Amino acid sequence: MLRLLVIPVALAALLVAAITWSGAARSSPADFVFINRGEIGTLDPNSMSWLQDIRMGYALWEGLYSLDPRTLEPVLGCAQRVEVSTDKTAYTFHLRPEARWVNGEAVTADDFVFAWRRMLEEPGDYTYLLHYLKGAKTYQEQFAAGQSADFGQVGVQAVGAGVLQVSLAHPVTFFADLCAFPPFFPLHHKSMEPFRLVNRKTGRITYDPRFTRPPHLVGNGPYRLESWHFQQRLRLVASEHYWDKSAVRSRVIDMLSFADPRTAFLKYETGKVDWLAEVGADDAADLLARKRADLRVFGGFGTYFYSLNCNPRLPDGRTNPLADVRVRQALAMAIDKKPIVDNVGRLNQPVATTFVPPGVFAGYRAPRGLAFDPPRARQLLAEAGYPGGRGFGQLSILFNKEGDHRFVAQIIRKQWLDHLGIDLELSGVEIKTFRVRLHGKDYAVARASWIGDYNDVSTFTDKYLSHSDNNDSAWKNPVYDQLCDQAAVEPDAQRRLELLGQAEQLLCDQVPIIPLYHYVNAYLFRDNVRGVPLNPRNMVIFKALEARRQP
Amino acid sequence: MMRYLAFRLVQFPLILAIIYLGTFFLTWVIPGSPFDKDDRSKSVAALQAMEQRFHADDWRKFLAWYPSRAVRGDFGQSMQYQDWSVSEIVADALPVSLTLGLFALVVAVLAGVGLGVMAAVRRGGAMDFLSLSVALVGISVPSFVVASGLLLVFCVHLKWFAISQWHNLGDLVLPGLALSLLPMAYVARLTRVAMLDVLSSDFVRTARAKGLSRVQVVWKHCLKHALLPVLSYLGPAAAATLTGSFVVEKVFNIAGLGRHFVNSVLNKDQTLILAVVMIYSAVLLMMNLLVDIGYVFLDPRIQVREEWR
Repeated sequence: MLRLLVIPVALAALLVAAITWSGAARSSPADFVFINRGEIGTLDPNSMSWLQDIRMGYALWEGLYSLDPRTLEPVLGCAQRVEVSTDKTAYTFHLRPEARWVNGEAVTADDFVFAWRRMLEEPGDYTYLLHYLKGAKTYQEQFAAGQSADFGQVGVQAVGAGVLQVSLAHPVTFFADLCAFPPFFPLHHKSMEPFRLVNRKTGRITYDPRFTRPPHLVGNGPYRLESWHFQQRLRLVASEHYWDKSAVRSRVIDMLSFADPRTAFLKYETGKVDWLAEVGADDAADLLARKRADLRVFGGFGTYFYSLNCNPRLPDGRTNPLADVRVRQALAMAIDKKPIVDNVGRLNQPVATTFVPPGVFAGYRAPRGLAFDPPRARQLLAEAGYPGGRGFGQLSILFNKEGDHRFVAQIIRKQWLDHLGIDLELSGVEIKTFRVRLHGKDYAVARASWIGDYNDVSTFTDKYLSHSDNNDSAWKNPVYDQLCDQAAVEPDAQRRLELLGQAEQLLCDQVPIIPLYHYVNAYLFRDNVRGVPLNPRNMVIFKALEARRQP
Repeated sequence: MMRYLAFRLVQFPLILAIIYLGTFFLTWVIPGSPFDKDDRSKSVAALQAMEQRFHADDWRKFLAWYPSRAVRGDFGQSMQYQDWSVSEIVADALPVSLTLGLFALVVAVLAGVGLGVMAAVRRGGAMDFLSLSVALVGISVPSFVVASGLLLVFCVHLKWFAISQWHNLGDLVLPGLALSLLPMAYVARLTRVAMLDVLSSDFVRTARAKGLSRVQVVWKHCLKHALLPVLSYLGPAAAATLTGSFVVEKVFNIAGLGRHFVNSVLNKDQTLILAVVMIYSAVLLMMNLLVDIGYVFLDPRIQVREEWR
């Protein structure tokens, strides 16, 4: 009998040991608790690209400019004063003497030079934004190729501790906004030193991204990183040395990560969370139908669309009917987008006829896109040599299986069959395969989406430049390139927007993409919460966050 | 016995090396890049910088660089979550998964054996029906349904438990229950069948004739025999509860290894995949060894071959 007890007793002992081993310490309650979108990818400003990472970046760092907590317009941050030359290519930033790192040390111009240099030498997803600096692109390319590269030729220089001089290759009307973006944040060199890695062969210096982990991370933002539990939670505590600390509303902020949007929603429902920064599509649609007052749905900063392969040949070598602009126009005009929004999106997403979400950029006039017009679509298809869809050949719609992409594809397939007489196959693949095929132009029609990064129209229009890495349609138009290039160097802001508007008009007429709908954001927060702006860019400035609790 | 044990332990590194090579091969043939994070195309410069850091621009380079570090316990940085080393991720997650898995296993065995024995003794009665119902529900209802249901009833409506917390024993109850249902169902059915078999054997009749009480016969003499098939099932059950906790961990938002097991493959996070697979393999090899040792304890008819003594 005793022998029989060995197993349960051993298991119980193991269990007790395991519980002791895995138990996490309880912490004091925070002043503000929110659930971020998904998990944090990285807190290294060099390689941040996910929305949730960039969002946290604003809590931990501050650039020369910061963003206004309500409007998200750029306002002076670390810099106190800026002088701009008359040709708008030379900037002199005077740093605030009271700007401090969380350890109390002063933020200096050298910290910016160090960070920007690292961005060029150890490039990340947004390094191209630094190419607006004079000589930066050449320096990065020479450095990467192992040639002798002189950083002195790059347009950034520290003049003493408190003055930073920046020269741009050409005027950049949105440079202030860029200066508020994570790739332009300063870095604290000294605290990163222990994480320096030297490549024995090349002598190249890189930094182990673990410098971002508490207690090592030294930022200059309103908060310091107190703790970070992988894919669980992260705690921010107000910095004692932040120059604008009187504006900081919550002392302790907890960020929680949830893998499952439904569980995140249930957690919010228990009342323990002040702000849910992304509500799952099904829950949001359900709450919207029930008119829940704490659900906030508002316009977003991106567009969902179908990408059309414009190469003369399909991946399998057949002639590509989509290379004919009339076919692309016919496909675009044969889609009624309302049923997609009503049945799949379900959050009253604005139906899209243009790529750039309208109303997001002040002063930008959206061009006219193609409207739903089946008779005209049939006519165009016939003109292109496929009357009634005859001779069109078998093409497929590529999408990834995750999410609701299949339902959108089903609606569009049905509409093309009904209105044009062409029947496309549905081809659902796993996300990694999908990306390989999308970027490799190994498709005919593919679902796609784009979300802007910074506050300028070019964050959308640059995607379809002939040489862009992100031009997944293989659409090349010299006039489009020329208009965008002209806009890039145009010092007059309004004239620039006109040029970009003309470029987008071309995109709408030539149809390398079929815009379907513009994204909306869905938040959940109760009326006691302050400081969460309903701004398309989905950013918050943490110092304004506050949950007024009943005493 | 000791020699047998030593032999089994010596086999471990060899088996692990084979698993390593197989996994390594698979992580290189699955499509996509471990460094892409969203639908945008990664810039060539950024991609090169990443590949150089991980020696991942060529599989030969990676194969030459990685195993020597892994043997020393340094599994490198995660390719998708670069702020974390794989060892840190695993050290955080493994205890959580093991605790959850063990708890589920203990619940499954205790409740399953109990149900199974009662069902066999009162064959055709209410207890038998209950055991059958539990088995049916456990086997047919997917764990995400059970988990979501438990969460909704006990956390949101009754507020008995907190959502996504890992502080004390109470936080283990719901995810543990959700995870234990399937093995519990199997254990109950296995015990019932084996018990029925044993109850009709001659030695049971003899024991009863000698005047032993029914309780003594069932729990002391029969159970020991009826447990053998359960013990055989414990190996695979441990594998299932430890590696199969993905859904339960996701729904209850628990930072266990099951989540990394699945997500690392979806992300093609090669360093993390290799580490998780190696660790799971090692744990499962140990579990199987423990089960084999358990046989010897339970059944005197099973003996380690003479040559191994």
